[in-house]
Amino acid sequence: MSNQLLISKVSKAFPGVQALNEVNLNLTSGTVHALLGENGAGKSTLIKIITGVYLADSGSLKVEGVEKSFHNPIESTHSGIAVVHQERNLIPEFSVEENITLHNPPLKLGIIDRKERTRLAKQALETLGFEIDLTERVKNLSVAQMQLVEIAKALVTNAKIILLDEPTASITGSETSKLFDVIKRLKSQGTAILFVSHKLEEVYEICDTVTVLRDGVSVLESMPLADYKQGEIVDLMVGRHLAERKAETRRVDRNATPVIELKNLQTSLGHRNISLSLYPGEVLGMYGLVGAGRSELARSILGLHAITGGEILVNGSVVKIRNFTEALHKYRIGYVTENRKEEGLFLDFPVRKNISVTILAKILQRLSVINPKKEDDIATKYVDRLGIKVVDNNQLALTLSGGNQQKVSVSKWLAAETKILIIDEPTVGVDVRTKASFHELITELANEGLSIILISSDLAEMVAVADRILVMRRYEFVGDLDNSKDYQSMSRSIMNSIQAS
Amino acid sequence: MKLPVFFKNRMTEFSLSVIFVIGFLALVLTSNGVFLSRASLQGFLTYLAVPIAIGLAQMVVLCIGQMNLAVGTMGGVSCAIMAVLMADHNLPIWLAIFIGLFSATAMGAINGALVVLTQLNGFIITLGTYTILLGFQYRLVKTFTIDKYPSSLPEFGKRNILGFPYILVIAIITAILLSLFFSRTIIGRRVLATGGNPLAARLSGVSNNRSIFIAHTLSGLLIGVASVITIASLPGINRSIGGDWLLASFAAPIIGGVLMSGGTIAIYGTVIAAGVVRLVDIARAQYSLDPSIVSLSVGVVTLSTVALSEWRRRRTERQNEGMKELI
Repeated sequence: MSNQLLISKVSKAFPGVQALNEVNLNLTSGTVHALLGENGAGKSTLIKIITGVYLADSGSLKVEGVEKSFHNPIESTHSGIAVVHQERNLIPEFSVEENITLHNPPLKLGIIDRKERTRLAKQALETLGFEIDLTERVKNLSVAQMQLVEIAKALVTNAKIILLDEPTASITGSETSKLFDVIKRLKSQGTAILFVSHKLEEVYEICDTVTVLRDGVSVLESMPLADYKQGEIVDLMVGRHLAERKAETRRVDRNATPVIELKNLQTSLGHRNISLSLYPGEVLGMYGLVGAGRSELARSILGLHAITGGEILVNGSVVKIRNFTEALHKYRIGYVTENRKEEGLFLDFPVRKNISVTILAKILQRLSVINPKKEDDIATKYVDRLGIKVVDNNQLALTLSGGNQQKVSVSKWLAAETKILIIDEPTVGVDVRTKASFHELITELANEGLSIILISSDLAEMVAVADRILVMRRYEFVGDLDNSKDYQSMSRSIMNSIQAS
Repeated sequence: MKLPVFFKNRMTEFSLSVIFVIGFLALVLTSNGVFLSRASLQGFLTYLAVPIAIGLAQMVVLCIGQMNLAVGTMGGVSCAIMAVLMADHNLPIWLAIFIGLFSATAMGAINGALVVLTQLNGFIITLGTYTILLGFQYRLVKTFTIDKYPSSLPEFGKRNILGFPYILVIAIITAILLSLFFSRTIIGRRVLATGGNPLAARLSGVSNNRSIFIAHTLSGLLIGVASVITIASLPGINRSIGGDWLLASFAAPIIGGVLMSGGTIAIYGTVIAAGVVRLVDIARAQYSLDPSIVSLSVGVVTLSTVALSEWRRRRTERQNEGMKELI
């Protein structure tokens, strides 16, 4: 087996963060190599360096023994590296064959040679053992089919190295096994594959070797996967230090009336038999992998998707929440979205206006005019309370760091004096220290009486913060666990409940 | 250099103010002070009122990330309604003005309602209403010039206070009220929130449909104001009224720093940009420049201000890129 890709001592820093610190990785042909790590561990940055999106600050990158430094994605493609992204890079209105040959359409007298194009596309799909109408428009394909088209697209560029970034995140189980057949076939043909995934079971099913990143450091470097148990890999990913710090369990009164209760809820999206009770001052964790249906459940409760069965009770009485406006003003429920830039913030607005958007009616003076002094005072209150680093309240949200942006998006809900807060993946993409301070904040808010539903796919975060953990898989709850705050045993129970289902 | 507080986060508006002052002084100097004479200053200021009002009318729709292509015919129709009511039906001026304002507002409301009901972009809807209203306008005015209404209205258009024409004062007061609307009222803030980020606005309990409806309705009201100004500043009304409004309505806000993507307003910017465009017009008359030079320079100014603000925006984003890309 030859070295296809050899990465040694690669470092990359961004303002304020050392994203990668002397990372090593050795990818050989005919193997499937797992790249694992928590969100924010540096996987994306490493992939972006391999694919030429970023240039490393230091270290070396060799392809088939030749030293390379990619200044843009095209150089990387020319060296035989192809990447299949989580978000697909296909043109929906183009046909399958047009997409497959997009980078390098075969030419004849300067115009596209359609016969040759069909031949190339067919050949690539045959290699994958995958049959599909070549003239079908990509927008009509299923997600799994699109993924295979992406891989076929990688093949026609004669890629020797294929990076698969979370390929199974949005496809079903049977589609996954089909994808794995394709991966095995590619492997037997000598392709080197880097496989990035959060799903450890799948990693064990398909991968040969493994590299684990934690906080930008490769804590496990290109070792045979079979030598490590799943638990050991998880420990390497999260690091003991985080897991062991928060040990105290909180006391929650489960005899009180739940602030929100779901009884056998069904949604138009496919949630079934969803029941839960959130008690005053409780932090209820909702764990699950990406695509398990957690955010979708939250949004359904808040009126975005239709409820097709069951009941929602707020403070003991049955309610019908029609939209976010009602959720906020009538039932005092807030939702901190996971996509803070897309949905959580007004990036072009100053911090002040981002915080006051939910409470405009409370800062009026005579003639129903907004009182800027009151607005500023409220903004200052939350900037101080949450320790948001700003020059002043007129700083644009756009110019804040990720962690501070997240705090601003939480502030507007605190300012609105919500009683229930649904927090969706709050610490994706923020550094370890901000993460820890966020966990403290959540606990503090709960101690002050706020009831919180915490959605996260970060096990360590769940165990550190939640009082009780519900496990969701494929739009159903498959586990309901009291959190002992002991990371080892909790992670085992959670994994068990996912596998048992 | 430290900028005055007003211009913080308002670089475009600051540059425009500088350009305006320089341009104004240049005109005064090169005309040996003739530009400062009562008559030419009056001309400059009087015909500044309409560009300001229609610029603001376009701005409120731009701020929700849409466009109003019907500004010209909406104005033309409401001018025609006012003129016909006064000339043919002898309605008192105040009632005609009220009906003119109301009909323009109603046209805006119809645009807004259609956008919300069909969930199509305002571009398409107002392209449709533009054509329909053009038909109305021609039917109302035919090929005549309507001027048989009380002369007190055109006379009002010539009156001024401390050298400022009343109609310009009306436009400026409208701008001030509009600025209060966006900064100090709940509805205004919500409209801006919708424009800034409709997804975040929805999650924050803002009804985007309501914001869209309000923005179009408000655009109608502002066109109504522009129509009243127009009828007061012209000797009569014919079918060409409003024909040259569309491009002017885009030029002022876009030069003034309003983004096409929504979420921004620049009221002072729109006003001062209308002033700059007006200066170019005056310069053309002053130096008997070729009209093509005027179009050319307005075009260049528009493109370069937009490019400049886009470049600044990207630079700010790049500075934060590291943090973002870590995700």
